[in-house]
Amino acid sequence: MKKTYTVLATLALVAMLMLGCKAAPATLTLAQGKPEIDAMLKAYAAAWGEANGIEVTIKSIGGSSNISLGQQLKADYAAGDMPDIFGINGPEDYKEWQAIVADLSAEKWVAKTSVAFTYEGKVYGFPVAVEGWGMAYNKDLLDKAGIDPATLNSFGAYEAAFAKLDGMKAELGVDSVVSMAAAADMGWVTAHHNFNSLLSNGLPYGDTSVADALLAGEVDATRLAEYADWVELLFKYADQKVLTTGNYDSQVGAFATGKAVFLHQGNWTDPNMAQANATFAMGFAPHGSMKAATDGIFVSAPSFYVVNSESKNKKAALKFLEDLAMTEAGAKYMVQEAGMIPAFSGISLNPAGQLSKSVQEWSAAGKVYSWNQYLFSGDFRDKTLAPIYNQFANGAIDKAKFVELLTDAFVSRK
Amino acid sequence: MRAHTEKRLVFWLFLAPALFAFVMVILVPFGLGVWYSFTNWSSSPRTGAGIAFVGLDNFVRSFRDPSFLYSFTITTAYTIVNVALVNVVAFALALLVTSAIRFRNFYRAGFFVPNLIGGLILGYIWQFIFNNAIPSLGELLGIAAWSEPANLLLARSPTALLAIVIAGTWQYAGYIMVIYVAALENVPVELHEAAQIDGASPWQRLRAVTLPMVSQAFTITLFLTLVNSFKQFDTNTSLTNGGPSAMFMGKPIFGTELLAMNIYNTAFISNDLAMGQARAVIFFLVIALISTAQVRANKKREVEL
Repeated sequence: MKKTYTVLATLALVAMLMLGCKAAPATLTLAQGKPEIDAMLKAYAAAWGEANGIEVTIKSIGGSSNISLGQQLKADYAAGDMPDIFGINGPEDYKEWQAIVADLSAEKWVAKTSVAFTYEGKVYGFPVAVEGWGMAYNKDLLDKAGIDPATLNSFGAYEAAFAKLDGMKAELGVDSVVSMAAAADMGWVTAHHNFNSLLSNGLPYGDTSVADALLAGEVDATRLAEYADWVELLFKYADQKVLTTGNYDSQVGAFATGKAVFLHQGNWTDPNMAQANATFAMGFAPHGSMKAATDGIFVSAPSFYVVNSESKNKKAALKFLEDLAMTEAGAKYMVQEAGMIPAFSGISLNPAGQLSKSVQEWSAAGKVYSWNQYLFSGDFRDKTLAPIYNQFANGAIDKAKFVELLTDAFVSRK
Repeated sequence: MRAHTEKRLVFWLFLAPALFAFVMVILVPFGLGVWYSFTNWSSSPRTGAGIAFVGLDNFVRSFRDPSFLYSFTITTAYTIVNVALVNVVAFALALLVTSAIRFRNFYRAGFFVPNLIGGLILGYIWQFIFNNAIPSLGELLGIAAWSEPANLLLARSPTALLAIVIAGTWQYAGYIMVIYVAALENVPVELHEAAQIDGASPWQRLRAVTLPMVSQAFTITLFLTLVNSFKQFDTNTSLTNGGPSAMFMGKPIFGTELLAMNIYNTAFISNDLAMGQARAVIFFLVIALISTAQVRANKKREVEL
């Protein structure tokens, strides 16, 4: 008898739990690829959720773990568990998810930004922030060496400056001139960021002509040769250990501790600089991938939030994005908590990091070049280009072979 | 008759939960996986990409891809070296901890502990050792060659592969050692005494008594190390992540991308899930064939008392 009661009670409890699940409050899931802002975004989302009676779940994927957001999304999609809002990086990602990405052209925040993700005239992506990279320099060391960073804007200028700094290594207390990484897991530094110098340096913002030609298999040999000189220069004056076997920490660490004068990274390294107590003055100089002077750095929104058009929570998702862009709490989270450069006008707050400030200055002056690397597939950049850079960095091939392999890669790209 | 039916009913009823689980989590996904390998499945709503049957296309393209052929080659090389090294080290350790040395229980525990560390973390630990600890030690000892960037194990693909073997051996030898220890302790003492009286040297006793008597253990250890080496993924990911690059068939490719990682990268970096699935099917067939052959060969050498 007693047993029967226990069984009945258990069944009742299970049934209640199941019913309870069904009556759960409204939910919203956001999957994003910037683990460094995970805690801040979660705090903001919790506060927003409380105010709107919606339970918001933030999933942050990427960075140090070995699974990327794109991979996680594929698994989620296969499992029928697609998030309501998710991050994409650019046109290649967009095409992957095209069928379920909602058109956001009618949203209010669209008018307040110039870097939203658009495709064929329609707005699809909410810009997460503005980011930029160039050659980050240690101004204190450059002053000591008598080099004005404003003069660093062409291959010739860099060549002379690198040679001069290399001769003063002991005096400046540095191990190498530039902190560059080209190991297998650092393909995103070479085959994504550095590669973009070839695609957009010196071109008007939004000009994709060079990338389009390369995508069509037509290689501008002069531009490529000048670019190869630049890669060679960076590799030559880099700390070979960091270059061939280093990871993100060793690359950024060398610069943050004053052991390298330049760093080939972007403003997302600001938190690392703060952690390492780097107090020296720093900023960005343009890349020297061309003989002609190029006065600007590479600035864009690194990723965009898109709304899942099949989601039941679409309304909540749209409101979440709108509040993020248009409310004071949203601005406070983006700028002060997460330390990002906001992609929207009408926000008067400024990020604290020196490199972020430098990006903002370049951006305000309109001296910016676009990010065109996303026009190439991740497959092409990571599996075809990255090993070519790595071979060159290891000294396994020379510059002529490097140019030949790159040319082959563009011509035979499937 | 009735008793018989009832017996069968009970049999199937008790089997049902396990059978259900087996079918749902093993058979169905496996069958689906094989089916996907013959399609262009991509698990994303890319426009115009419904699932279509493409026959053997994924398999044909796989065998034409230099990176896959290369992964196959180096995985085979890795497996041979790793199986040999793990077993030799494990057997030597087992002989050591079953001999009459002091603190042998301490050693047994000590050699086994690395096996408790996850392969991913282990890879990061060894990456630090190879990239930072060894060069620092070299500087301390005044051996400049150790901190020479070009001499780092992880800077060249053949030595980077060796680095995975070293990390793998360090992790797995202790586990295999435990199996050998169990087998060695079951070798009857009388056999050794008899051989000793007959004047056999320690080396002769090892060859003529110990080795045949533990051949059952070899069947197990070789199977485990073989399959484990072939499936190596986690240490590969964290220690080298496929790098450094190498040239193969005129194409620059990842130099230490073992098969499991090649499958993963095909599926998730190239976004070609169906082709990754096809490679996984090939992978399964190869492992099944090789391990069956190995178990058969080893079984023949086993000695029954």
